[in-house]
Amino acid sequence: MKQVLSLLHRRAEDIAVALLAAMFSAFVLQIVSRYVIREPLGWTLEACLLTWLWLIFWSAAFLVRDKEHVRFEILYVGAGPRLRRVFGLISAVALVAAFGISFPATYDFISFMKIEKSSTLGIRLDYVFGIYLLFAAVIVLRYSWRAIKALRGAALEGDGANDSE
Amino acid sequence: MGLTTVSEAFLFCIATVFGLAAIGTPIAYSMIAAAVVFLAAKGQDLGLASEQIVQGLYSSFILLAVPLFIVAANIMNAGTISERLLTFCVALVGRFRGGLAQVNVVASVIFSGMSGSAIADAAGIGKIIIEMMTREGRYSPSFAAAITAASATIGPIIPPSIPMVLYALVSDTSIGFLFLAGLVPGLMMASALMIMNVIIATRRNFPIEERVSIRQMPGITFKAFPALLMPAILLYGIYGGVTTPTEAAAVAALYALVLAAVFYRALTWRSLYNIFLNSAKSSATIGLIIGAALIFNYIVATERIPDAVAAWLQSMELSRIGFMLALMVLLLLLGCLLDAATILLVIVPLFLPAARELDIDLVHFGVVIVVNTMIGLITPPYGLLLFVINATTGIPLKGIIRDVLPFLFILIVALLIMVLVPDTVLWLPRQFGYVG
Repeated sequence: MKQVLSLLHRRAEDIAVALLAAMFSAFVLQIVSRYVIREPLGWTLEACLLTWLWLIFWSAAFLVRDKEHVRFEILYVGAGPRLRRVFGLISAVALVAAFGISFPATYDFISFMKIEKSSTLGIRLDYVFGIYLLFAAVIVLRYSWRAIKALRGAALEGDGANDSE
Repeated sequence: MGLTTVSEAFLFCIATVFGLAAIGTPIAYSMIAAAVVFLAAKGQDLGLASEQIVQGLYSSFILLAVPLFIVAANIMNAGTISERLLTFCVALVGRFRGGLAQVNVVASVIFSGMSGSAIADAAGIGKIIIEMMTREGRYSPSFAAAITAASATIGPIIPPSIPMVLYALVSDTSIGFLFLAGLVPGLMMASALMIMNVIIATRRNFPIEERVSIRQMPGITFKAFPALLMPAILLYGIYGGVTTPTEAAAVAALYALVLAAVFYRALTWRSLYNIFLNSAKSSATIGLIIGAALIFNYIVATERIPDAVAAWLQSMELSRIGFMLALMVLLLLLGCLLDAATILLVIVPLFLPAARELDIDLVHFGVVIVVNTMIGLITPPYGLLLFVINATTGIPLKGIIRDVLPFLFILIVALLIMVLVPDTVLWLPRQFGYVG
């Protein structure tokens, strides 16, 4: 199980790196086409925005750990292990609730976007925006798992122990 | 303040964001959760949260500068570019008393022309220079850490600058003029720190670096030259009207890549992969905050909070200066609780209508705010930069805080001058056609 997870984690990293590389390349291509060849390509800008959007939500869903986020840590760090678990449980339950309750409406909004296509690449916008749906689903799963761990009394990720989330 | 006009839903929303953030929930997620609470309490479509976040991020071209600047800074830090710049700076100002402390400031000025992020400066070039300063016990670790933290605040003032990009996003001001407006204040901050360095170095009898002979200078300059060219390329690109600031960010990243990989041969595929991976993660965390701030600001705007703030301030009959000074104190205090991106994206928009009302120039306002926010990063007890340096070097926080106080003081003096004499900020952009 652990091996499978770590393999998946590495593939997720590959994808994030590929997205960033694609975004960077598209941008460079845009500059070259505009200032060197002087025949601007239309699609590069859109490709940049698309990869940027995917990069954010893909990385946030699969790569960024809780402690790597921007957090206000003073109370959390100052708390003892028991209180930390309570804090962790409350925030996990709150996030599962918030992302869970809004999930159907989010799905409606994003699937509604199928009627629109991106202006130059012609990609259906529900595919473009679909990454947010994936992100929301993963957040619900990740924080459900975290809540279960907190309830079971295991040390939470971010405390330096057991980082295999 | 017209608190009676604030809806119950908004109070729930605020309670959620503060409650969740206080117990260590990631700030971005706390804001999104609070937005969902608000929409639910109002009986509005819950899909609005995702709509604002996704559409906002997808349509904002200017934001692409953020990941590109992050990539550029990470490449600079990983290659030998930072070391070469430092050697050059040592040759330049090492001969004065407390030379390495001065090197620290000068290196920040040059490096800041590339990275656009104070944290990147402190964690990258800052770490190397702290090692140089503390070798053989010549400088106390706490002093080395303190001057590094203080000089890292210059990074986002001298263009390019991620915080200025964020301010441009919320205020609709020209990013080009904002960048220009930061140049003189950045140099003012550097001079202020260098003056303080001289005072402290004389009093504490700091060492002098071995004088680098004139004959060696051309060689050292030649080795650092391609790196020194970078700020020039960026500035020419932006102000020569050749490229947009976002494109300049891409050019910067590409230039750093070519420099590190081809010219200096300091980059392997493996290290490039890691640079991209770390940049992806940093971009994602800041991208999430931006996205969350978009929906949060939408709510704040529909509740007409900024107008209420403006009306309240008007009823206090604050003068322009009084308003700016009060805001300065508030931002320094908030710097203890929130990071720079959150302050710029969420708190600053609350005061923009008031600033407009008082006829404050928004470019001047922006630069002052960004300087203010950066100083907030080193304000004890909870300055983020102090923590970053403490985390990367292991130097105890207590000593850093003690030694950072004189620098904090002189930076605040510099900030006061910027507030009271708007020309220090606006003179340069005016030379380039800014009307305001």
